[in-house]
Amino acid sequence: MANLHDTPGALQALQADIYREKILQARKLTLEQRLAHVFELSNHQFGMMLSGAMHRVNTQDAEIGWKEVCRWMKRLDKVRDHGFYTTTAPDNQ
Amino acid sequence: MKLEELAIHVIEAAESENVAFMAVGAIAAGAYGIPRSTRDVDLLVGIEMPGAVNSLIRKLSKMVSFDNQVAFDTITWGRRHVGQSRSNPPFKVELFETFDDPFVSSEFSRRVQIYVPMLNRKTWLPTPEDVIVQKLRWGRNKDLDDARDVLAVQGPESLDMSYVEKWCSLHETLPRLREALANIPPLE
Repeated sequence: MANLHDTPGALQALQADIYREKILQARKLTLEQRLAHVFELSNHQFGMMLSGAMHRVNTQDAEIGWKEVCRWMKRLDKVRDHGFYTTTAPDNQ
Repeated sequence: MKLEELAIHVIEAAESENVAFMAVGAIAAGAYGIPRSTRDVDLLVGIEMPGAVNSLIRKLSKMVSFDNQVAFDTITWGRRHVGQSRSNPPFKVELFETFDDPFVSSEFSRRVQIYVPMLNRKTWLPTPEDVIVQKLRWGRNKDLDDARDVLAVQGPESLDMSYVEKWCSLHETLPRLREALANIPPLE
């Protein structure tokens, strides 16, 4: 079977198909249902992160796992906030 | 704790302290676009009542630990208070103060109240047009994706595009708007 990554056009078409499906699924939902999905996805994401962190640091202790998740999130915040936020007030404040 | 429990707590605290607010960030974008996960409960909060934001922070302090130092975003220099939930998971609460900016004033005045069954209460959201303008103004990758998703799911034909274009023109983000629209695949 050919590797899609070897044919950029086919890969783009696949990406467009996946994105189109996401759009059409979201359109079928009400605003309230989409909001519920945000909460469900967010809770699920942290559950997955906890599992990954516990595996990464080789522990069965969830508290240790959460500490690792917190460490990851702090690093991620630094990367994402870099250049966008500062604690130095502008001259007029 | 689940994200919705934190959101309920934050909304109740804002209401009890009479702080006008609306949910922004991934919650607002997900309401109109393609839902995605987030770790944040982000609120844009009114500052009409002096000290109200600090009262809100104190009210939340049992559940959320806020940084002592306020942060400023480097695009508009708006003030941002960042907190993290004291219990796991480490959700964040970000309070963005309204300020003297024509667009922020416009989006806040146009906010809409909706009932959210999962929260079993009403809350305030920006309009989809204001989510698009705000996200294009910020312009980080996830913001641009969110703006494109809202445009795609709502459909330009059902949005007030003249309002979106007016603000994008003022913010000099029309190229971002055009790119977002161009990246929506044909849906038929």
